[in-house]
Amino acid sequence: MLAELINPYYLQVASFILINIILGVSIYITLSTGQLSLANAGFMGIGAYTSALLTLNFDLPIIGGILAGTLLAGVFGILIGIPTLRLQGVYLAIVTLGFGEVIRVIFVNWESMTKGAVGLSGIPHMGRELLNTLKEFGFDPKILGLQNNQFVFLAIFLILLGVTISIITFFRRQNRSRVGRAFAAIKLDEKAAESMGINITYYKVLAFAQGALVAGFAGALFAHVLAYISPADFAYHRAVEILIFAVFGGSEVIWGPVFGALFLTVMPEVLRFISEYRYMIYGLIIIIMMAVRPQGLIDVNILNWLKLKTSKRRQKHGTSSQKSM
Amino acid sequence: MRKQLKKFAQFTALSSLLVLSACGGNQAAGDEDGESSGGAVKADIGVISYISGPGAAYGEAITNGLKLAQEEINGKGEVEINLVIEDSAGKQDQALTAAQKLMNSENVTGIIGPTLSTEMNVVGPEADLNGVPIMGTSTTAEGIPQIGDYVFRNSLPEALAIPASIDKAIEKYDAKKVAILYGNDDVFTKSGFDTMKKAAEEKGLEILTIETFQKGQSDYNAQLTKIKGLKPDLILASALYNEGAVIMDQARKMGIDVPFVGGNGFNSPEVINIAGDAANGLIVATPWYGEKEDDKVKEFVGKYEEEYGKKPDQFAAQAYDALYIMAEALKNAGEADRDALRDALAEIKGFNGILGEFSFDEEGDVVMEPTVLVIEGGAFKEFN
Repeated sequence: MLAELINPYYLQVASFILINIILGVSIYITLSTGQLSLANAGFMGIGAYTSALLTLNFDLPIIGGILAGTLLAGVFGILIGIPTLRLQGVYLAIVTLGFGEVIRVIFVNWESMTKGAVGLSGIPHMGRELLNTLKEFGFDPKILGLQNNQFVFLAIFLILLGVTISIITFFRRQNRSRVGRAFAAIKLDEKAAESMGINITYYKVLAFAQGALVAGFAGALFAHVLAYISPADFAYHRAVEILIFAVFGGSEVIWGPVFGALFLTVMPEVLRFISEYRYMIYGLIIIIMMAVRPQGLIDVNILNWLKLKTSKRRQKHGTSSQKSM
Repeated sequence: MRKQLKKFAQFTALSSLLVLSACGGNQAAGDEDGESSGGAVKADIGVISYISGPGAAYGEAITNGLKLAQEEINGKGEVEINLVIEDSAGKQDQALTAAQKLMNSENVTGIIGPTLSTEMNVVGPEADLNGVPIMGTSTTAEGIPQIGDYVFRNSLPEALAIPASIDKAIEKYDAKKVAILYGNDDVFTKSGFDTMKKAAEEKGLEILTIETFQKGQSDYNAQLTKIKGLKPDLILASALYNEGAVIMDQARKMGIDVPFVGGNGFNSPEVINIAGDAANGLIVATPWYGEKEDDKVKEFVGKYEEEYGKKPDQFAAQAYDALYIMAEALKNAGEADRDALRDALAEIKGFNGILGEFSFDEEGDVVMEPTVLVIEGGAFKEFN
């Protein structure tokens, strides 16, 4: 019964949704200090290529590759962040966009290492490797009543779900901490924040590095879920796609980009039944959204309204168990 | 905090339900009038194609070719094929989800597509693991059928096409020195260049220079000036037709009048439309030649023009033949079974389609004789 419900197609879509959510979070972090960074596609590429190359050439376990990729992207985030954060607004956007392109051009031209535009194939696949390891210990998915490929995609989905929930939880908590308050203060007014004694450079670089770290992490996961990457995956289009998650969903609260990523990844799949017209509808939805809600779909007001609604309903049903946040 | 988590869980559960319900709606509706057709083998064949986005013209040609073939095959009554067409938008992740949908939700017997080699690199291994035979009709890069036992293609790989055209050009023009020009940020042109370089080295040609350009570039004077100074006998250009046509135009204006040898991406009537007379002297090898004196080819071109109002290109022709190959294999297999279809596909030898005589080698790659064409007086002609 359970086995029939687990369709690798849905799990595959869900996995891409989760990866996109992580990317959405990565741009949210930099946006939460009021900086518009378009370098996230580049950081994603660094994470993906580092992890893929390490696992391919040095037989590093996938976890090791992912960690290395994430950290390297974070280091680049700091290196790029320090000089560029003197820039503001659209100038920062242009410089970071340029950085993303530089990364892509390096991937294209460093042929001895990255195989150029042809891309890297045969990257160890997260789910399949896990299955092989488990099989060595005598585990067989049939015990759970699952086919091999069902198990593979279920495993990927559960891992990604766990990871995504932890990331969102972490950044929600951070928002309520000293760091989050500092971010919010910088976003509202840099000068005022500085005069209050907030070390602007430190927090801005921190946000930038965190964004890079998360984007690199998403990239590394992407490489091991798709098992093939090429420089074109991390081009300008990807940067814009990530930005749209935040613009569409709203960048005031973390649920904005999360919802944006979810909705915009699901949409093309849901619209499959109209085949070649689906991207027209997709574009139309985005345009209507921009016109009706320029601040993004989810903002603080909507969240409060939703909270009110759900708590009212709960009281009506007599199951109100109000706990503190 | 716990409440937040709970809310998040509800949120994800709800949204995944949304996905589930939204995707489950359209089941194949083609098998209603089933029983009447007697002993025909009925099969669902999935198609992954590049229908929306910048490369939608490829996907359109491919699906047109497939639909035409499907009509004819079903008309004959030996095999009844139901096509389930999915869009990949030219993206690997979309191609993969489309493939998952076809393999797991639609339970297709075999898959035709995806359009791009990059997409095949992602979809191929997955189809192979699931034991679904998959055949590319336009994936020409190296190493595609080598992905696995279930991966085939009927598109002429660059590794066959380019050496054939270089051979003929050397013969005719007695070429010894060549210059190579290629786009280095595109999988297609980069892989074409690798093949060109290898072929040129094998034939003992002296490579004077290797120049690169990028997608969308509009000024090639720097590269061409250098090439002109070196006086090559032949220019090998691995370019897609949009850049390639501009390169030829600028080269001719500069006074470079040596012939060009192009890869598969250069092979398009659009080159003549864009470059005009400057396109004369372009040599390409192709599996498809629409002017061929062959009844099958003439019939196909006629029908295609009648149906879609334009001449078929090589993508339409390859897709058309691909479905015929699938049908042949299904007929031989006698049932719509994935493993039986794979074995039957692997045994296809000497299939006579509109592309000429076609066989699979033991890896599932193409064995056929390409036709070498040259542009003369504003039209593609056979090159002898």
